Amino acid sequence: MKKILYILFTIHCSLFTILLFSACTETVSDAKQENALPQIYPDYLGVTIPVNIAPLCFNMEDETALYIDAVITDCHGNSLHSQGEESVDFDIDEWHQLLAQNPDDSLSVTVSAKYDDGWHTYSPFSIYVSPDSIDYGLCYRLIAPGYEVWSKMGIYERDLSSFDERALIENTQFEGCVNCHSFNRGNPADMSLHIRGPHGATLLRHDDSSLIAYNTKTDQTLGFCVYPYWHPSGRYVAYSTNATSQLFHSSDSNRIEVFDTASDLQVYDVEKNELILSPILKQDSIYETFPVFSADGRSLYFCAAEALPEGNHALDSIRYNLCRIDFDPETGSFGNRIDTIVDASAQHKSVSFPRPSYDGRYLCYTLSDYGQFSIWHHEANLWLLNLTTGENRPMAGANSEDTESFHNWSTNSRWLVLSSRRDDGLFTRPYFCHVDAKGVVSKAFMLPQRNPRRFYRDRFLSFNVPEFIIRPTNFDGRKASRIINDPSRKDFGVRK
Amino acid sequence: MKHLHLLCTLLFGVAVFLFFGLAYPHHLHYQEQYQLFLFDSTYVWEIVKQPGGVVDLLGRFCTQFLLFAWVGAGIIALLLSAVQLLMLRLFKVHSSQFIVHSSYGLSFVPSFLLWLFLLDENALLSGVWAVLLTLLIAWAIVKLTKSWMRRVLLIIAIPVLYILVGPVCFPIPIESLWHGIHYYRYPMVFPWLLWAAAFSAFVLIFAIRFFNRKVTASNRLVLALCSFALVAAIMGVLVWKNANFKAEKVMQYDFMACHQQWNRILETVNAEKPNNQIGVTVQNLALAMRGMLLEHMFDYNQNSIHGLLPDVKTDATSPMPTAEAFYQLGMINVAQRTVFEAQEAILDFQKSGRCYKRLAQTNLINGQYEVARKYLMALQKTLFYRDWANETLPLLGNEKAIASHPEYGRLRQCAYNEDFYFSDHVTPEMLESLYFRNTVNRMAYQYLLAYCMLTGDRERYNHIISKEQ
Repeated sequence: MKKILYILFTIHCSLFTILLFSACTETVSDAKQENALPQIYPDYLGVTIPVNIAPLCFNMEDETALYIDAVITDCHGNSLHSQGEESVDFDIDEWHQLLAQNPDDSLSVTVSAKYDDGWHTYSPFSIYVSPDSIDYGLCYRLIAPGYEVWSKMGIYERDLSSFDERALIENTQFEGCVNCHSFNRGNPADMSLHIRGPHGATLLRHDDSSLIAYNTKTDQTLGFCVYPYWHPSGRYVAYSTNATSQLFHSSDSNRIEVFDTASDLQVYDVEKNELILSPILKQDSIYETFPVFSADGRSLYFCAAEALPEGNHALDSIRYNLCRIDFDPETGSFGNRIDTIVDASAQHKSVSFPRPSYDGRYLCYTLSDYGQFSIWHHEANLWLLNLTTGENRPMAGANSEDTESFHNWSTNSRWLVLSSRRDDGLFTRPYFCHVDAKGVVSKAFMLPQRNPRRFYRDRFLSFNVPEFIIRPTNFDGRKASRIINDPSRKDFGVRK
Repeated sequence: MKHLHLLCTLLFGVAVFLFFGLAYPHHLHYQEQYQLFLFDSTYVWEIVKQPGGVVDLLGRFCTQFLLFAWVGAGIIALLLSAVQLLMLRLFKVHSSQFIVHSSYGLSFVPSFLLWLFLLDENALLSGVWAVLLTLLIAWAIVKLTKSWMRRVLLIIAIPVLYILVGPVCFPIPIESLWHGIHYYRYPMVFPWLLWAAAFSAFVLIFAIRFFNRKVTASNRLVLALCSFALVAAIMGVLVWKNANFKAEKVMQYDFMACHQQWNRILETVNAEKPNNQIGVTVQNLALAMRGMLLEHMFDYNQNSIHGLLPDVKTDATSPMPTAEAFYQLGMINVAQRTVFEAQEAILDFQKSGRCYKRLAQTNLINGQYEVARKYLMALQKTLFYRDWANETLPLLGNEKAIASHPEYGRLRQCAYNEDFYFSDHVTPEMLESLYFRNTVNRMAYQYLLAYCMLTGDRERYNHIISKEQ
């Protein structure tokens, strides 16, 4: 009797569940066939995606839509369906299964939307599934796009194959702000994190060892070390030291100018705890910044501009070129000649954020009208320099009419994450684009979210400095905050 | 006797209501403007999932009503009266009539301490809710259950209460336990008065039970009245002595500037000339808005150029009246930066309805419609800014409607068209550029000449006058 009751109860529950779900799903019937492609948010039309990316959920751009329905099909007869009032939200396992069945192939997405006058079905669009996978996740800072004062902010990691986001550390755990997080080719075993404010420090983790808090300011350098970039060997970190100021525009569409009044470069030897300085990289007449090692670790790329005379605020005349100097990792010494790789100032342009791909083929950089803090420049765009042929071209597929600024390569050098303000002109969002074997740059797509419009509309924070990570960082925020709040710091030494 | 108790509670409630409504209304406005309560599931979940999140949510929910001071005063009066009534109920459990009446006045002690706590503009209503919910649940357990069951429930209640209300339910003054609980705007400050209120409730309830075994007597009425009068007198003096009426005055100026009550500002400064920076800034702004700055500025206290357009500081309060002056002058980017920074400086990382509104306006005037839309859509999720957001949204992108709008149209005409850099100081060149961009901008004209007068810059003054003529 008990068993019968149990079976009846189970059937009853199942029927109820089925009824509940069927009540939430509408059949797309008597739909008006539209010749146009659907206007969806984010714009995922014709994008190339990695085989392991989280579901590309989306909304209708027109918010008067009562329902949105999407069916994804492949050439093998598989399909995936989702329907919702605000957005389509594909089942994550089914999505990954579908992508895994279609590497190097296209998926067709048919979108229908219900308005007051009934259903409309739009022309299908394609999504190309690249067999090139993307790294495990992304690490970024979330911060309000402000001026000098900061509210709540922190460093977060996001699993790119799902929607999971986790805080590594937030400034609720100590007094100050966090920035300049950096990993060695996406490997969090080597990590650098900078803390500003009364508990200022640089936290370094080398080869998965414990975090150590350093005082990076020495009597021979300009100030604290910033803009870190790891040497591929993990032994060195290139830093710049910058005396940075801000001024504000009275009426320009660009709100802020962040500029340096002095800046130098140095490389830190992690094993010997010493900064390696070179007079050629700390010239008073030159602003040197954004150092990055080449893929083979034998060159240091950086940006350099002629310094303004003291008291001169002609900020629009500061233009940075892309330069290079030899670096010998065996001896930790620099060459004695600086080469100009991209003479941007000759074109009245300025280079910032050089990032060589890890396969040594390309170098991606941001080009703006002047200065080096390109996130506040609406005209800033990404350019791609072929390091073999010297071909230099804008990344048309990745760029938009608004700001494109910071960017980073995935460890297989096939994906680029880029910061863009194309969404609303102020809040920075991460986008991804594919660079194939021939250097063809695909259309960029926005970091997927379950309900993208709601997510990005409700989040009044910018995604700052997105960096790929190959695995979870395993960063213990509590332990880190104890280290930060402890006043002891290990001083950086300087090589004699 | 029951009626006497109710009468005393009523008396107490009315006193609280009148105090906050008449003597402390701008402290309530101040509280409201440093939070943004959203009717949004994500917002609610982000609050509730923290320890003490339920009372934080209740506190924030109530705080939005402080936009209307009398409603806020009513809410506080009800909360504090409820705390007292619950204390009395808990006194009555297993206590003799004599003990209840002789210690009747003590039932007001936690409420009075909470009143003292709320005198501080950084004290949050979540603390009051925490004490109230703790007492309510304790009373429910004691009232509804018997002996062993009660003990079991009390043991279970403490961790559950900790999740709901935070450490108030177990008031041990260990700072690490209270750290991160949103009872006070400064995250690092231990709220001693709140702790004292919670602790007094515990101590009093246990003390009453202890004395219950020791004494018996009669003459209940006199005892009850005497104990009430004694506690009310001591606590009343403490409340009055600790009230910060100086801050209240400053907040009043800020409130009037925020609501553009220029005539009321002039009436207030005529009654009592302000001698603090915010008061002087607001006074000069009101004079300029009424076209009286140049003729009458020296009828009032001045604080050199710091009373005209003070340098912006990195706090949440002092820049707001200055930002209002920037906005009314047509220095839209300067106003935007000032308001943004002020909002970022809110100590407990909350957002502000007032700031969101102004940021939507400055972005609208600057033609940054998508950014303005973002702020407006957030304001649509509020109770008291929703109507304004709904009215403003159709203006986005509608150049004609903006041009003919009495405020935005005027400010667009007044705003800079020449780009230059500015920093933390407003210079006479900035005012000059504003004025010569549009000589109809009489605000800029007045501020520019006032600047010259306050700095003694005769040359510039004569130059402007000659140009004007």
